[in-house]
Amino acid sequence: MYEQFGGQVQFYAVYILEAHPTDVWQMESNVKDKVLFASPKNEEEREYVAGACVRKLGIKFPAVIDGFDNTTEKAYTGWPDRLYLIGSDGKVLYKSKPGPFGFKPEQLEAAIKKLPEMRAGK
Amino acid sequence: MRKPSKRTLSTVAVFLLLVWGGFLLMIGWAMRQPPEKFGRVMSHVPGPAFLLFPFETMWTQTRAGTMEPGDAAPDFRLPTLDHKSEVELSALRGKPVVLVFGSYT
Repeated sequence: MYEQFGGQVQFYAVYILEAHPTDVWQMESNVKDKVLFASPKNEEEREYVAGACVRKLGIKFPAVIDGFDNTTEKAYTGWPDRLYLIGSDGKVLYKSKPGPFGFKPEQLEAAIKKLPEMRAGK
Repeated sequence: MRKPSKRTLSTVAVFLLLVWGGFLLMIGWAMRQPPEKFGRVMSHVPGPAFLLFPFETMWTQTRAGTMEPGDAAPDFRLPTLDHKSEVELSALRGKPVVLVFGSYT
């Protein structure tokens, strides 16, 4: 989606607290995929896991890291994962339901296609 | 073996219903806690117990948040992963922005 719409829309990954770290709520699927990280205990550890996340998942757009106080996550209710589309005026246009169930890229794509910027581009 | 009386059966049924109700309240409470605490509680819930409550429905409700489409997106200023720059949401005006919240696990 980033490759398709990256020209008209700015994409940012916001790295927040881990959903299923080994020391909190381990998931069988993560054990199988060997995605095993304990909950980062400080800024540096969080950066380390965030870096691994971006490299291994091949995230091509820029990533920012939420502070250790999780201010941004709290403001957006972003945990464990969530999608937002914000219009050029700074207003929320699309807010997905909370992940993992609500993490639906196809809904985001539909919202992007409705942007005035997309219509103007055609 | 003697057949259990109707009374015994209804007592058992009421008891089970109360236990289930308490369990639902506990899950609902956990879902409203900060993520780490919620995760810690859920890690003690055995697998089959997940069939006993509507996880998705409850989760969607408790994690709905207060922001609605049409609201101004809360501003933030966060460092990029490489620490070479900072991203300020309000400075990105003029072009739509997609935010993908998530973690590795």
